[in-house]
Amino acid sequence: MSVELGMKLLRQYIELADPAFASELAARTTVANDFADVLQLCTMRAHARRKGLFPRQARSCRLAAIGGANLHPLVDFVDHFVTVLGQTECNTWVGDYDNYYSEILEEDSPLYGFKPDVVLLLPSERRCTFKGSLASARADQEAEARRAVDDMLQLCETIHARSGAEVIVGNFRLSPYFDPGPLRSTSLISDYAFRKFVNMDLGSRIPAFVHICDVEFLSNRRGNLSGVDDRIWFESKQPFAPGLLVDVAREFAHLVSHRNTPAKKVVVLDLDNTLWGGVVGDDGLEGIELGTTSPRGEAFRDFQQYLLGLSKRGVLLAVCSKNDHEKAIEPFEKHPEMVLRLKDIACFKANWEPKSDNLRQIAQELNLGLDSMVFVDDNRAEIEIVNQFVPEVSTIWIEGDPSDFAPRLKDSRYFETRTVTAEDLLRVSQYKQETDRQELLKSSTDMGSYLDSLDMIGTIRSFNKLDAPRIAQLIARSNQFNLTTRRRSEAEVLAIADDPHYSAFTMRLADRFGDHGLISIVIGVVQGREFLVDTWLMSCRVLKRQVEEEVLNEILRRACAAGCEWVVGEYLPTAKNGMVRDHYTRMGFAKIGDAPDGSAKFELDAASYQPIPTKIRLD
Amino acid sequence: MQQQEIMDRLQQVFDGAFLDKVQVHRDLSAKDVEEWDSLAHVSLILAIEQKFGIRFRLGEVEATKNLGELADLIAKHLAKV
Repeated sequence: MSVELGMKLLRQYIELADPAFASELAARTTVANDFADVLQLCTMRAHARRKGLFPRQARSCRLAAIGGANLHPLVDFVDHFVTVLGQTECNTWVGDYDNYYSEILEEDSPLYGFKPDVVLLLPSERRCTFKGSLASARADQEAEARRAVDDMLQLCETIHARSGAEVIVGNFRLSPYFDPGPLRSTSLISDYAFRKFVNMDLGSRIPAFVHICDVEFLSNRRGNLSGVDDRIWFESKQPFAPGLLVDVAREFAHLVSHRNTPAKKVVVLDLDNTLWGGVVGDDGLEGIELGTTSPRGEAFRDFQQYLLGLSKRGVLLAVCSKNDHEKAIEPFEKHPEMVLRLKDIACFKANWEPKSDNLRQIAQELNLGLDSMVFVDDNRAEIEIVNQFVPEVSTIWIEGDPSDFAPRLKDSRYFETRTVTAEDLLRVSQYKQETDRQELLKSSTDMGSYLDSLDMIGTIRSFNKLDAPRIAQLIARSNQFNLTTRRRSEAEVLAIADDPHYSAFTMRLADRFGDHGLISIVIGVVQGREFLVDTWLMSCRVLKRQVEEEVLNEILRRACAAGCEWVVGEYLPTAKNGMVRDHYTRMGFAKIGDAPDGSAKFELDAASYQPIPTKIRLD
Repeated sequence: MQQQEIMDRLQQVFDGAFLDKVQVHRDLSAKDVEEWDSLAHVSLILAIEQKFGIRFRLGEVEATKNLGELADLIAKHLAKV
């Protein structure tokens, strides 16, 4: 639909008071990118509100905007985007032109009176410039740029300290003009290089409550030359040319609405005409388009490269294809030009069941929510089915030209993260291990043979200095399989390690698919003839793997070695540890007392204890 | 572009910018329209430039007294394109 036609339709909806207005307004707002259109959409929203046609959103947000420019209509556009696309009612307050220092620094300023949830700060671009000697040393130039960043960070800190608000700060665009030539890239005395350095330094130093609206990037994306309009700066102190103004407003709004939305964790891929050209079931392994021998084949290969890059960032890849399983896996195993191999796919579903069912299955197997998944397919009908039957899953319809596929995903904004942690990088292999185990569980006839085939190796160690950080972390985090939920700091863990009254140990578990690491902790206290289990906890990842049994065997070994005659265990109930209420009874202990608060004590005779055989081999 | 066509297009821009219906005519000026304050003025001028694909020079718009003169200015710029 053309823009003109869309606007006409919206006008009609308003005249007829048609409730279809709200969804059409959202659709038009999503695609609008020039100034006059966005302005018109803002006006129509106000019209519709007056006629009761555009209901108030359930969520709301108090949004303050301050900065070194005239922030109207920028903030009005931000308001529009947050309300319509972020489905959040906006209350706005806008500071005076270039008055942000005093608005931030004066304690009784109206900024704080407004009690904002989020503050948009667009610092003065004209003041972000090198002021020292043009002949100064590079180190001095950098020091000045860092001071400019210190200054901005200080403002953000003050805002946060006084209002508790999160701050979204706009960084600086770069000049589109040739002046001053080579100095632009060799020295920070040019505004170009100075602002570029400031942007980079700011980005690397922001605290968690600050987000960056990357104006530098937005301006580059649109073309720096088209983002500049000095006339409207002189006339009305507008910070940007109209087009860039819309981009920046959209981005501020995106950050307001999505600053706490987690990135998607899984991308679920179709196969035929998505990962390769053609239909593998019909065209055969040799017939599909893939690889450097043809332009289209090369584009599909490039798309796979991008997906592999996503997976290296911690996004899981899954396959959901209408195919025979054997046919579908053939390219992954045999095609020389495939970039993705079976080891890169965390979950592989190739069958003739509806894709909506398969998506639910994938979510279950990966133990992730449907709302953390993005489904990618070239078939419009499949996309529609998924939208209809599993609306929690986000979808991307890729069509036709495979050179557009990677850009579609790159602009989807589903996979944006602020940082990449070491844990993210491990995630892909851990999930792959888990689905492999589940596959094995399905093919094994009984639990015993399944556990047998896992080739589990356990390692038991007394508390020691090296393990102390992980021990303290697990003690702090375990809630479910935790008999007493006694928290201890790393220092306390180290003290226990050195105290002969304690008998404390950890267990690690590995199997043929990978290493689970340190997953269980026991702290025992030797009190004469009694061995008291002060703490017993375990990571739920290894439930039903006979770790409990192996740990109990170790408790008894230690109790006997210390000359104890019985072992006493306690259960202290919390909101989360109901799963271990009967743990000691299951393990053969006798209950020796309980209290009205649900806590209980149990006892086991050490002399008559027979070690429980398990499928875990101790290292 | 004829005067009438320019006025028609201006009507479209005004419809997109103001909540209440404003009938455009040559004698219209900001003081006649409640919503036409200095903030709305910025948006209005940017929207007009985009609608006609022209660019006013610094100070030109300020010098016009009413919509008629603005329409003449638009015609002048269109003739240059």
